[in-house]
Amino acid sequence: MSSQNFLDLLKQRFPGEIHRSALINDNELYVEIYQEKVPELSRFLVEEKSCALVSLFAADERANPSGCFAIYYVFGVTGANLFIVFKTLIPETKPVFQSIACHIPAAQLYEREIQDLFGLEPQGHPDPRRFALHNNWPPGVYPMRRDFDGRQKPPFVVTEKADQFTRVQGAGVYEIPVGPVHAGIIEPGHFRFSVAGEPIINLEAQLFYVTKGIEKLCEGQSIEKCFYFAERISGDETFANSLAYCQAIEKIAGIIPPERANFSRVIFAEQERLVSHLGDLAGICVDIAHGFGASQFRMLRGWTYQMIEEVSNSRFLRSVNKPGGLRKDFITGNEKRILEYLNRIRKELTETRNIIKSNSLFADRVEHTGILSNQIAKDLNVVGPAGRASGVHKDLRKDHPYSAYGKLSFDIPRHQNGDVNCRYQVKLEECFISMDLIIQSLEAMPPGKVREPVTEVEAYRFALGYSEAPRGENIHWIMTGPDNTVYRYKVRTPSFCNWPALCHAVKGNVVPDFPLINKSFNLSYAGNDL
Amino acid sequence: MLGMIKKIIQYPRVTVSYPKVPFNSPYLTGKPKINTSLCNRCGACVASCPTSAITVDQTGQNIGINLDECIFCSLCEEVCPTKAVWMSIEFELAEKDRKILRTSPLIIEERVVPDESYQAIGEQVKSKLKKTFGRSLQIREVDAGSCNGCDYEINALNNPFNDLERFGIHFVASPRHADMLLVTGTACRNMELALVKTYNAAPDPKMVVAVGACACSGGIFRDSFATRNGIDCIVPVDVYIPGCPPRPQAIIYGILKSLDRIKQ
Repeated sequence: MSSQNFLDLLKQRFPGEIHRSALINDNELYVEIYQEKVPELSRFLVEEKSCALVSLFAADERANPSGCFAIYYVFGVTGANLFIVFKTLIPETKPVFQSIACHIPAAQLYEREIQDLFGLEPQGHPDPRRFALHNNWPPGVYPMRRDFDGRQKPPFVVTEKADQFTRVQGAGVYEIPVGPVHAGIIEPGHFRFSVAGEPIINLEAQLFYVTKGIEKLCEGQSIEKCFYFAERISGDETFANSLAYCQAIEKIAGIIPPERANFSRVIFAEQERLVSHLGDLAGICVDIAHGFGASQFRMLRGWTYQMIEEVSNSRFLRSVNKPGGLRKDFITGNEKRILEYLNRIRKELTETRNIIKSNSLFADRVEHTGILSNQIAKDLNVVGPAGRASGVHKDLRKDHPYSAYGKLSFDIPRHQNGDVNCRYQVKLEECFISMDLIIQSLEAMPPGKVREPVTEVEAYRFALGYSEAPRGENIHWIMTGPDNTVYRYKVRTPSFCNWPALCHAVKGNVVPDFPLINKSFNLSYAGNDL
Repeated sequence: MLGMIKKIIQYPRVTVSYPKVPFNSPYLTGKPKINTSLCNRCGACVASCPTSAITVDQTGQNIGINLDECIFCSLCEEVCPTKAVWMSIEFELAEKDRKILRTSPLIIEERVVPDESYQAIGEQVKSKLKKTFGRSLQIREVDAGSCNGCDYEINALNNPFNDLERFGIHFVASPRHADMLLVTGTACRNMELALVKTYNAAPDPKMVVAVGACACSGGIFRDSFATRNGIDCIVPVDVYIPGCPPRPQAIIYGILKSLDRIKQ
């Protein structure tokens, strides 16, 4: 369905409610509507047109002519390369908005985030507790409002509601608090298990321990400097995040990166996916105590890191991207090296997979463990390998092709059961697909330059930038400010969507299986907390 | 089973010999260097550095790089019109004193670490400590607000290539068992308390190693409402390992340096 069709449909269904609309950057349809109508129109899109809420954020636009806060609801249209963005204005004098979380569960956390960071209250929200700010933060201070100075450090306070976890009560029910400092070498987060005997009744994750204020830090900074923040949103998704950032800036500047850059970007993005998935597979083996598998996957991962470093001079693909293309032509002269590495990795990965497949103990641990039902996955808009393992077969590379993905032929893994085994299989299959994509890109890439310089961007223009990170869809939204600066940078990483799904997937499982289930999702704390 | 045995025979040992054999790779991105004779003090690198790590003193003549703030993005190399700045392949950059990493003067915020009563006794045994820990060291890793890049590199210390256990060093699950805290990240507002508690939970004498630009100085996340400028605002640090993130060998170098196991 084209954007015009969609717009006509909305106008026909809701006559007089749409007071402004514009299609920009080819596939972003911005529709301005009144606040009161948001729930109705959103439900229409999600329930009748099977669109997915992919991002929801506020922007402090009080300095603009409208003089209001703005809230943007971004929906991805299934089956068409189109995003529909509802924009609605919230006056400063009445800082409330209609919650849509009761009908669209995926909106829950976004709305709580807006409440914490902007001080706009979602009315009718089923669970309006604090979310993005911890209890040490003084009430009434909203860090993402533009009148809050990002350099000031508000005092630590002790609020009354120190403990705000959901209590499960009954004979024999007890709580296990875990974190923020964990036993393994992972990022900080607090988990509160409610348990009776061994099975987990409820799990709540308190995150935002590693909040660094990236979105605030980017405000008013040059587009050049913000690129380095984008690279450091989540260390292991450096390229995916920088790619989403670059895309948004390129769209705003009206620049189309050269073909060679597009294919090179596919190569690097897939290398990053390969390295990330191999790490997850090793992690799953560690948590099953399958030492052999862990050692093999870690070795394979080590080889992939070597390949990446030899091609890009950085193990984390840092300083490879640049708005407009790539920093330099990394691929020329390295084609043979990449192919050699890939052949070696593919052969070893195939053999390792076959050895592990024959291990009944392994199968016993992963099958029927940590099941995420298809309904929950759909409701929460679970993305990436976790979604593809639970029957939500979405992939930005297919649904909204970017870079050179539209020119490459590939399939995405489709699993239904949603257990650890399915997530393991999805990641394993994606490793092979990534290697295929790299080889296809190497063959298809034309010679030529790799960068179209971005010199200047117009003020107050905006665009979505997106990429399929190893963990799933990654949606960035940028509004530029005067003098080549960033006015508002909203980052929504796949981890933000998938954290609540993890809490559902562990229910009914025994506590010792939690690390395994957690690893099969392998979510980024830094990417969630920003 | 047979398949596994075949693989174990095929790859008996993949561990690299670093630090016995120096790690020389032409591909890595190491310390940025400035050739002052080529530099015309145009200020292009100073203006473009994302973390303002390149500084010029008041005379406008002495230019230098604060390595504790550098994120190794190599932008300075790219913008330099006279090719005076280049990224070397030197990666063994860990230092015990942050001042050595810097060219401009160092100001650390005042810190109050509660419960320092055992600190004094700790100091006395510190001379013995390196001899004691030198052969076996237990490390607790604390992420105090990183982007997780450093944590992945620390994780890589346990992979078959680096195999940190060959030095008698290994990671433990609790700070109570630890001799050393390996801290990454800027010390976020919400991790401050956890970091202090972890520090206090580790028995004296103990060491703290700051891994990465964020832990050394705040890196790119400096001066935010939610961060502190480096972990030495909160706990005393024994060794600083610059990098964004530092590669696994650089972390090994830093850990061994803290134990005085590096031959000068």
